[in-house]
Amino acid sequence: MIPPLEELLHARTGPMTADMVLHPADFGLGHVPARLRPAATTSSICGFCSTGCSLKIHLNAAGEAINLSPDRDHPVNLGMACPKGWEALTPLAAPDRATTPLLRAGKSGALAPVSWERALAEFTARFKGIQRDHGPHSIAFLSTGQIAMEEMALLGALFKFGMGGLHCDSNTRQCMATSHVAYKQSLGFDAPPFTYADFEESDALIFIGANPCIAHPIMWQRVIMNRRSPEIVVVDPRLTETAQAATLHVALRPKSDLVFLYGLAHLLLDRGAVKKDFIAAHTSGFEAFAAFLADFTPSRVARETGVPEATLARLALIIATRERVSFWLTPIVHQSHEATRTAQAIINLALMTGHIGRPGTGANSITGQCNAMGSRLFGNATSLLGGHDFANPAHREKVARVLGLDAAVIPQKPSYAYDQILDAIDRGEIRGLWVIATSPAHSWINQTRAKEILAKLDFLVVQDMYATTDTARVADLVLPAAGWGEKEGVLINSERRLGVIRKVARAPGQALSDFAIFQLIAEAWGCGEMFRAWRTPEAAFQLLKEISRGQPCDFSGIRDYEHIAASGGIQWPLPETRIAETGNRKEPDQKPSGIRSPKSEIKERRLFSDGRFFHSDGRARFLYDAPRPIPEHPDAEFPFLLLTGRGSSAQWHTGSRTDKSAVLRKLAPTDLTVEIHPDDAERLALTAGDRVTIRSRRGEAVAIAVVTSTVQPGQVFLPMHFETVNRLTFAAFDPHSRQPSYKACAVALARVEP
Amino acid sequence: MVASPKNFPLLAELLAEQQRLDTPVARFSTAHDHGTALAPQLIPLTRPGPGEQYGFEVDLDSCTGCKACVSACHSLNGLDDDETWRDVGLLVSPNRAQPFTQTVTTACHHCADPACLNGCPVLAYEKDPVTGIVRHLDDQCIGCSYCVLKCPYDVPKFSARLGIVRKCDMCHSRLAVGEAPACAQACPTQAITIVNVSVTQPTKLRAQPGFLPGAPDPDYTQPTTRYVSRRALPQNLVAADATQLRVQPAHWPLVVMLTLLPAAVGLQLAALPVLRLSTFHPQLLAVAAALGALGLAASVFHLGQPRRAWRIFLGWRKSWLSREAMLFGAWIPLTALAALAPQFVQLSTFNVQLLVTAAAALGCLGLVCSAMIYIDTRRQLWRAAQTFPRFLGTAMTVALAFAAPFAAVAVLAVMLAVESRTFFGRATPARLQRGPLARAALTRDVFGMIALIALAVAPAWLALIPLIAGELTERYLFFRAVDAPKMPGLPAA
Repeated sequence: MIPPLEELLHARTGPMTADMVLHPADFGLGHVPARLRPAATTSSICGFCSTGCSLKIHLNAAGEAINLSPDRDHPVNLGMACPKGWEALTPLAAPDRATTPLLRAGKSGALAPVSWERALAEFTARFKGIQRDHGPHSIAFLSTGQIAMEEMALLGALFKFGMGGLHCDSNTRQCMATSHVAYKQSLGFDAPPFTYADFEESDALIFIGANPCIAHPIMWQRVIMNRRSPEIVVVDPRLTETAQAATLHVALRPKSDLVFLYGLAHLLLDRGAVKKDFIAAHTSGFEAFAAFLADFTPSRVARETGVPEATLARLALIIATRERVSFWLTPIVHQSHEATRTAQAIINLALMTGHIGRPGTGANSITGQCNAMGSRLFGNATSLLGGHDFANPAHREKVARVLGLDAAVIPQKPSYAYDQILDAIDRGEIRGLWVIATSPAHSWINQTRAKEILAKLDFLVVQDMYATTDTARVADLVLPAAGWGEKEGVLINSERRLGVIRKVARAPGQALSDFAIFQLIAEAWGCGEMFRAWRTPEAAFQLLKEISRGQPCDFSGIRDYEHIAASGGIQWPLPETRIAETGNRKEPDQKPSGIRSPKSEIKERRLFSDGRFFHSDGRARFLYDAPRPIPEHPDAEFPFLLLTGRGSSAQWHTGSRTDKSAVLRKLAPTDLTVEIHPDDAERLALTAGDRVTIRSRRGEAVAIAVVTSTVQPGQVFLPMHFETVNRLTFAAFDPHSRQPSYKACAVALARVEP
Repeated sequence: MVASPKNFPLLAELLAEQQRLDTPVARFSTAHDHGTALAPQLIPLTRPGPGEQYGFEVDLDSCTGCKACVSACHSLNGLDDDETWRDVGLLVSPNRAQPFTQTVTTACHHCADPACLNGCPVLAYEKDPVTGIVRHLDDQCIGCSYCVLKCPYDVPKFSARLGIVRKCDMCHSRLAVGEAPACAQACPTQAITIVNVSVTQPTKLRAQPGFLPGAPDPDYTQPTTRYVSRRALPQNLVAADATQLRVQPAHWPLVVMLTLLPAAVGLQLAALPVLRLSTFHPQLLAVAAALGALGLAASVFHLGQPRRAWRIFLGWRKSWLSREAMLFGAWIPLTALAALAPQFVQLSTFNVQLLVTAAAALGCLGLVCSAMIYIDTRRQLWRAAQTFPRFLGTAMTVALAFAAPFAAVAVLAVMLAVESRTFFGRATPARLQRGPLARAALTRDVFGMIALIALAVAPAWLALIPLIAGELTERYLFFRAVDAPKMPGLPAA
């Protein structure tokens, strides 16, 4: 055929073809379409979960982010990311971003745009008015584990030291408060001891209420990289994705964990599988604990947990015989009516078997949010900045000195917890609330009541990227915030690694970083002078460094943001003295065995290798309590036990960001689904795809039935991301951590006639 | 002392600072290039040999359903906001004693006998002779979406923005330089690799026969993706979305075309000498030609890129769509000629009849092609036993309405009886017609009944009104109630 004719008939090239042709991208990125070729790249830590993946942001010549890919040089994610990470930039471009402050005209009017000046004047006048009429502690804030550490610290300092407030908490209470309290009581400081390399270096990984396949896919990647043929044990009522990949699945009854864990300890003690010398040298309270365990015989455990004695024995054998055993727990454990003791029961197991402080061991709590660990150290809510104690005068002096403040401005009492703040609003004790980057109207347990409570406020301020969250819709004042990618700061991941987030996109309209908003509020409030040293996030970081000095979390050895970025993140502790002694930046501390590359030598750091814990006597404590029954049992009227959890790797929490991505929306169910066992489905005449109402004593939700034997008979499972789920949940709280028990309540199911 | 919020110098400063980005030269200097191929261990060391081609291999034991593959493909290939070329689904075991679920990642299977390629009327698909990758030529595509109907795996996706279809090309240009495809690079557990597969042997799951449980029958297109597992997968796995009802798009231009064209052919058939209607045949032929032209015109609205449609004849060797277009392209002028020629030139009755008969033959062949377009998709509702009676039945009813109304009644009654067979049982079309499409199904039957009565008692022209209305509703149901095979998906997605 004559070439021109062939060309005319067959358009192998043209604008649409050219649009998709891939070109070398440079920067080690392989190939991308021409319109996405970066002019430069920078790395930023992902702002969704606590894994702390580093994302390589692709920038155009103007420095604007145009795309991203996971960072291959980062020791956390090794070039991988989950779908949320890949889509991290998309939510920034959502059309419903808040672009100006919005003020409600009157109590029932609509939210209307106002200037920042007006918004700040309103903010100060209204909150000051409430304080004048009802006392300084009648205002409160609820914040988040999703903003930068410097922002959390400035917020906490501004509110407590500048504005004279006392009660504040963050949504980390919903996921991580237990871990914080459990570690602090048991080990002397809120110090998850592990490093992610432990996933690879363990001989037995025991996941308790953890489903990393779905919740932390990049951590699961590290488990897959384990070359020691490990036993993988999953303790979970459901046959989760992780349970199916496990070598042993322990399907215990929901919330019978504590009995189960004590039973396991009993069996280990019985078999003489405890490390007596480690216990003697490094712990206290073991004898009493051993006596307490006497009641937890295998037959009792089997009866109360539904776990056969043989399974319990097999697990005990694994723990007793494997050289490196690690225990992993997540918010699933933490959201329970007796969560702190459950977490401590796991810590007890690690302590009594000596599985702590060595590679591949530890009682390791995986956090949920990207900066849950930053919030735990610098939220300034239950503990004073830097893990200090409000009640300790020396601590108050130290923090005041670093910040250049009069120690008298630091309150001596800790705050109310999240649930107590809501109760205080209900009582009329707290009249003004400032909500930062979270949505209690969606996420707080027993949501119907949460909404009624918020309606009682005299003044509700919501500071968020979106004016469309459930809480922003009922706010009196909305402050438009810049999001991840539009600001700088530090996040701390689950393994205590500090990482830097970068400003790679312009915030829409007049949206400002949370840090800048706090600066403005300080100025408007009249306490700007107190925070002059907090000029920029990085200046604030230098202050926080000083505050951390001498604490277990001491990171005074970190120079600045660039030091963190160049090191692939830095795990605390990194005290300055250590660097001074060795004269260089290399970390001479413990060297994990099974090192993968010379680079990782200083990139992985775990705690307690010397057996010294953070209590003043250097000893860890055995802490325990008699198990209590779950507060709401299924009965004739509400015969099913409702379990909730993360349903998909493409959804994040309330979906205020992940719902903005068309791709992530595609990857997750569009409707609420309820998993139900075939036996139960048969009894209710349900077939897959039927619509079902789920009722609890508090509310009801409609879901599509998924019939699967991965849930046990008598139990149903709902993914937590849908707004209606928390209409059902029961407000029970752990007495030590005040964390709510999202995971178990009684419900009834009925088919909706089409 | 309260600072006045008026005249806030800090505010202006912070607002300006918020908009300031560090430009690459100013600060970010990580411009080093590794210069090495990405994840080369995930692709074959050699090009495919004779009888081989590249195929995806998915290690089911490693796939956790994290969906990073979907996102990575989307981002690294620069797809549109809502466009994805890969998908993740779920297989579940109905066995109560042994609960089991398996996530499945799936993209284009780069089939050995690609249905998309075979059906494309403009040859916008090519199968690379060496790698076997099935590539789509974006600038050739006319946006007819026939490949969307042809592919049993729901792979090609229509882009409303571009007016064309796009799909996975296995990152052929990455492979060409030794770089793994985006999905393979991005999988945290390395579950996706590219392997050389033999295309002479039927595809097999290593542990058990078949391509993948819960997936459409591989015999049709010979998909080359290998789903492998070291465990024996439980028998009877089903897709998590197997029972989910998905009402399919109506394709209104096609509904109109597929009603008007058979009706037009029917009118033209009515002009045949055997039906003894020669007294008024020129008008009848003119109306037939006009209706046919209207039908073809309607079909143009179905195309995303109508200006490229002139190439539609290219696929005539394999594509029923090309054949249909060519036949009707000839039928309309021929019928018009038969209607008009006697007005201007002296033609013998024999010659006129010859013209009319030739046009009728073309028209009938055209309708056969129309039906074959759908039969060739191997969808249950569109099987020959259902499609031929519908398309040919419309034509016959119209043709007989004038000369032998009771014969028309009989044909229509048979049509309705044939259609009603799709209404019962657990099959998807039946459930759709009893469920979300119940109202349309009822409407179709009501129009059908009215037409039956009207044909028997009213003049033919009047009876045509409920008849055409009924046929339009039937074509609507034909598209909306069809079963659309796909790879296993998620529940309630």
